[in-house]
Amino acid sequence: MSDEEEDFDKEEFVTLISSDGFKFIISKEIAEVSGTLRNMLGTSFQEAESNRITLHEIDGVLMEKIIQYLHYNFQYKDQVDVPEFDIPTEMALELLVAADFLDV
Amino acid sequence: MSRRKADKKENEPEVRGPNSALTAFLREQGIDAGAIRRRYEQSLLTERNEQTSHLYEQEDESFEENEIILAAIEKRRRKRAEANADGSYSDSSFSGDDLKDSHYCMNCDREFRITVYSKKVEKDGKVGYLCIKCTRFQIEQEGRKKKAAFEARKKRKKLASALLNRQELKIPSLQDICIKLLSTHIDDVHALGDISVVSMNKISRILSKNRSLNNRTMMLFLDATLKHLEFWDCSNIDMAYLDKITTFCPKLESITLNMCGQLHNSNLISFAQNLLSLNSVVLNGPFLISEPTWIQFFELMNEKLRLFHVSNTHRFSDQCLQSLLTNCGGRLESLSLSRLDGLSSKAAYDVLPYHLKNLKLLDLSNPFKENLIDDNLIISILSVNGGSIETLLLDGCSGLTDLFLVKGVKKFCPFLKRISLESLDQVTDNGFTQLFDGWNINSGLIEVNLKRCSGLTDRGLFTFLSHSASSLVSLNLNSVYSLSRTLFETLSRTLRFPLLTTLDLGFVRSVDDKAIAILSRICPKLKELEVYGNNRCTQRARIRRGLKVLGRQSDSI
Repeated sequence: MSDEEEDFDKEEFVTLISSDGFKFIISKEIAEVSGTLRNMLGTSFQEAESNRITLHEIDGVLMEKIIQYLHYNFQYKDQVDVPEFDIPTEMALELLVAADFLDV
Repeated sequence: MSRRKADKKENEPEVRGPNSALTAFLREQGIDAGAIRRRYEQSLLTERNEQTSHLYEQEDESFEENEIILAAIEKRRRKRAEANADGSYSDSSFSGDDLKDSHYCMNCDREFRITVYSKKVEKDGKVGYLCIKCTRFQIEQEGRKKKAAFEARKKRKKLASALLNRQELKIPSLQDICIKLLSTHIDDVHALGDISVVSMNKISRILSKNRSLNNRTMMLFLDATLKHLEFWDCSNIDMAYLDKITTFCPKLESITLNMCGQLHNSNLISFAQNLLSLNSVVLNGPFLISEPTWIQFFELMNEKLRLFHVSNTHRFSDQCLQSLLTNCGGRLESLSLSRLDGLSSKAAYDVLPYHLKNLKLLDLSNPFKENLIDDNLIISILSVNGGSIETLLLDGCSGLTDLFLVKGVKKFCPFLKRISLESLDQVTDNGFTQLFDGWNINSGLIEVNLKRCSGLTDRGLFTFLSHSASSLVSLNLNSVYSLSRTLFETLSRTLRFPLLTTLDLGFVRSVDDKAIAILSRICPKLKELEVYGNNRCTQRARIRRGLKVLGRQSDSI
């Protein structure tokens, strides 16, 4: 019974681990906004089995912002009046590189 | 005062002062000033009490209101019951029901007394009332529902207007947001380096789109290892800074400069002299470049030039074309000569077939005069380059007739993929049927533009579509007026378009709801269908999910 529950949880959620060891547990649906994560989770890689993805090039602060964006994208897709997504200027370039990697 | 009153009472029988008629009357009626006063004082006192308890009362006001209503109803009912007790109701069960005060709420099954405010509802075929709490809840819910419906309507309206404005209902990607931010803070970006080439091009395009590519911002994109450079709006970059391209990017292989009105003779020459691996040049609007400079440029480029596109300049003359062909013609793979008013002699065009041998793309759209480009010219170009040609753009070459299709395209072009024949009014069904009927050497066209080819009708179109149905990705039939409903019905029975993604049927008046429904079915990949000006297309058309229909009248309301 508890095993089944665990399986259920695994189906729904993904753990993203940043380079400095922060864990972010988000729903799979939201993680799949990112093309890279979607591909990772859709294959027979180890990541798809364990639903844990370690992203060595992205630190916690950056990861938090990216996850904010994933939620933002998920919430507002197919809508007309979308509020702007706020990014601190100093983060822009790092975020761009990370976004490039994650394909978002 | 009280003393006086007491005195009065005591002395009443004995001593009497002077009396008015009124006093006598009042006494006679038993009205006493002291009593009035007492009553007044009493009323003041009770009022004060009431005021203090007012706060508590307010809370129960609605409850009290209900109580009052209940009492009133009960009173009325009792009266009626008394009246009826005389025997007009003989049926005991009925009168018993009527006398019963309590009902059971349809929602929560609680016993309650019915009031005028009780909500009547129908549930599972039964009609009944709701209790006070449920009524209140129901009303609230209805209000909420109304509000939600209003919001939904507002949203639908917005979506409709977004569709018409071709606004993509797409969240900007995080990269786009970042790039936008970067381009607003371009000054700080110099320290940043390390962006992928794709992102760089994106930044460059965004800047061009915002018309903010200038001397300062262009420096961001110059890099010693850069091989491909594209500036889509150079109008704010001046001569000195255009020269920096050669200094900073010596390995450049292809250069695209759009709206390059500030490109000077010296710039072009320095490109040819200093960029040793340059082989592709796309210039739109280089009107400062003079005839001798063009000739010198082609002499310098000589064998290197593989791709040359030039448009929107009146200084590109017959001699320039001659020099281009003699110096670079043999190696050219892609040639575009569009909107060049300086090319005004037929002789200049007529030598094209003698020099061009490996063309993959040929664009001769919008010549200065219609007689400059005729069937024989195209036929002889295709006879030499047919084996390699993939793209043929002949927009506005209205001197062309069916002949070039039948004797040129059909014979020589096995690999042709894209063809654009906008405004070729002399092309007719005959040409089309002859071209596409049994054109086995070509496996199918991918992109076709037949905008305003007014000579075409159902017959020619059907032959063409039967030939290319399986490969077509993009098709423009805007303003091909003579197409009829029968065409779509025939297509529905016979053809499928597995790859067709965009289709423009604007101003083809025969297109109606049924035609849209048919197309929606037979083109499973179709994403965008334009029906501007077709007033038989309405909201009622049955459309597959994922297909956008643009230009219906009903979308604007």
